[in-house]
Amino acid sequence: MSYVSVKNLRKRYASSTVFENIDCQIARGEFVTLLGPSGCGKSTLLRCIAGLTPVDGGQILLDGHDLVPLSPQKRGIGMVFQSYALFPNMTVQQNVAFGLRMQKVPAEQSRQRVQEALELVELGAFAERYPHQLSGGQCQRVALARSLVTRPRLLLLDEPLSALDARIRKHLREQIRAIQRELGLTTIFVTHDQEEALTMSDRIFLMNQGRIVQSGDAETLYTAPVDLFAAGFIGNYNLLDADSASRLLQQPVSQRLAIRPEAISLGLDGELDAVIRSHSLLGNVIRYRVEVRGVELVVDVLNRSPADLHEAGKRVSLAIDPTALREVA
Amino acid sequence: MRAEPGKGGWYHRLVVYLLFLILLLPLAGTLLYSLSTSWSASLLPSGLTLKWYVALWSEPRFLAAFGQSLLVCVGALLLSVVLILPLLFVVHYHFPRLDALMNILILLPFAVPPVVSSVGLLQLYGSGPMAMVGTPWILIGCYFTVVLPFMYRAITNNLQAINLRDLMDAAQLLGASPWQAALQVVLPNLRKGLMVALLLSFSFLFGEFVFANLLVGTRYETLQVYLNNMRNSSGHFNSALVISYFTFVLVLTWVANRLNKDKT
Repeated sequence: MSYVSVKNLRKRYASSTVFENIDCQIARGEFVTLLGPSGCGKSTLLRCIAGLTPVDGGQILLDGHDLVPLSPQKRGIGMVFQSYALFPNMTVQQNVAFGLRMQKVPAEQSRQRVQEALELVELGAFAERYPHQLSGGQCQRVALARSLVTRPRLLLLDEPLSALDARIRKHLREQIRAIQRELGLTTIFVTHDQEEALTMSDRIFLMNQGRIVQSGDAETLYTAPVDLFAAGFIGNYNLLDADSASRLLQQPVSQRLAIRPEAISLGLDGELDAVIRSHSLLGNVIRYRVEVRGVELVVDVLNRSPADLHEAGKRVSLAIDPTALREVA
Repeated sequence: MRAEPGKGGWYHRLVVYLLFLILLLPLAGTLLYSLSTSWSASLLPSGLTLKWYVALWSEPRFLAAFGQSLLVCVGALLLSVVLILPLLFVVHYHFPRLDALMNILILLPFAVPPVVSSVGLLQLYGSGPMAMVGTPWILIGCYFTVVLPFMYRAITNNLQAINLRDLMDAAQLLGASPWQAALQVVLPNLRKGLMVALLLSFSFLFGEFVFANLLVGTRYETLQVYLNNMRNSSGHFNSALVISYFTFVLVLTWVANRLNKDKT
């Protein structure tokens, strides 16, 4: 039986429907990501689960009990916000202890649990600081400790890494994942960043315009997009209409075709003659724009040695892995 | 930032000192006058004395006016805190779109000159079921509207700086009721804005004359009305009054700032 189960959830504002008939199941201990462009309804869905935004219909079952009639403070859910939402008038220690104070946990026990939570996020030495004396990454770790210390039944993370710089973001995402595994905490993570979603999640729900377009593990989502939106949002797929696809493959194709740029190999003795149009160096990968049979394709090649770098105008040949071709509706 | 040494620095400093001199000169003059035995035909006063202060602070009418001024100001400020804080909270948390309307509303006290609005107030509250003219109550009510813009703006700026919604949400998810969240999380973070608003309003109200004189006058004499009524008495005495009143506001501001700085 699934631990979290969202059934037929509906939410609309005066003028527009945010989402309708959302259904999803999450197993105990699973790390699930809601991925989608801004405005797709993923944050609203998260806020509905937290109880911060009222729903218009449907059920949210947590461990078999419907959460919808409960106020946020009775749901036993922890949440981390993009803005950290630390209480500026309280020290780190007081921030983390706040939830325990509300639960009237005895002082001695509270102090110990706060210390444990702070050790967990490696901020044990910062207990007496105020939030304004901490960096963004530290603030977010305090916020994480604050939501973990009450031992929530479900942890919600609303774009917690979006306000941080790239290096800290990578470090923190590993830390979050490690803590989540250690505690076996069922977690829903919201992001618009596909890399975060792919690297962190057990399962990803890809959302667009208030619908869950596709759900599956990172592998499935990346290699088998179900539709044009999924193919366009994840990875850097080459999307070809039926005409171009037919011309490229020299066989009739009835639907749009998606080809991953790294599924095309570039060499000097392949079957397809092509011309390099331009290239850009992304670091470990060189991204080429090549033209083949009047179709422009993006090709990613690992940057192994200077010999891999081809100048614009150079004639090359391509080989496309036939198993990597995806027809998308 | 530090000024670059050299000509530019000197020039800038000169401007600042000049400005301070111009601003402080009348005050310094008043101070000196209040301390002098007599000062009429000479360049400097003929002698220094504290007798005007002694006379002032042993004058029961002055002490009464001082107390009444305090009472009216504190009353108006209490009323405004009790009414405006919850209002602001509701506007920003539940109806953020009302902020635009509120911004227009709070300009109204500026739009109508005190002389005009006091005539209106005299008509409204002069007789009938709500006859309050001549009592401190009308002054408290009137001052409430006068300080509305100061209170509203200062607290709004503070509210916008603290990310009210996320703080409330976070507190509630941690188990706080909306009341607990508002009182324990939001309110302490509004302390700075509130202090600024209160000090500004207090200094302004303490020096208010037009409403006090027209609406209440001598029936409930405030400091400024008393000052006006004493205009024909000794100038030294009045100077002592002005300096006393100014010092009071200054000390109050200083103490409040010190209290405000303690934490964070």
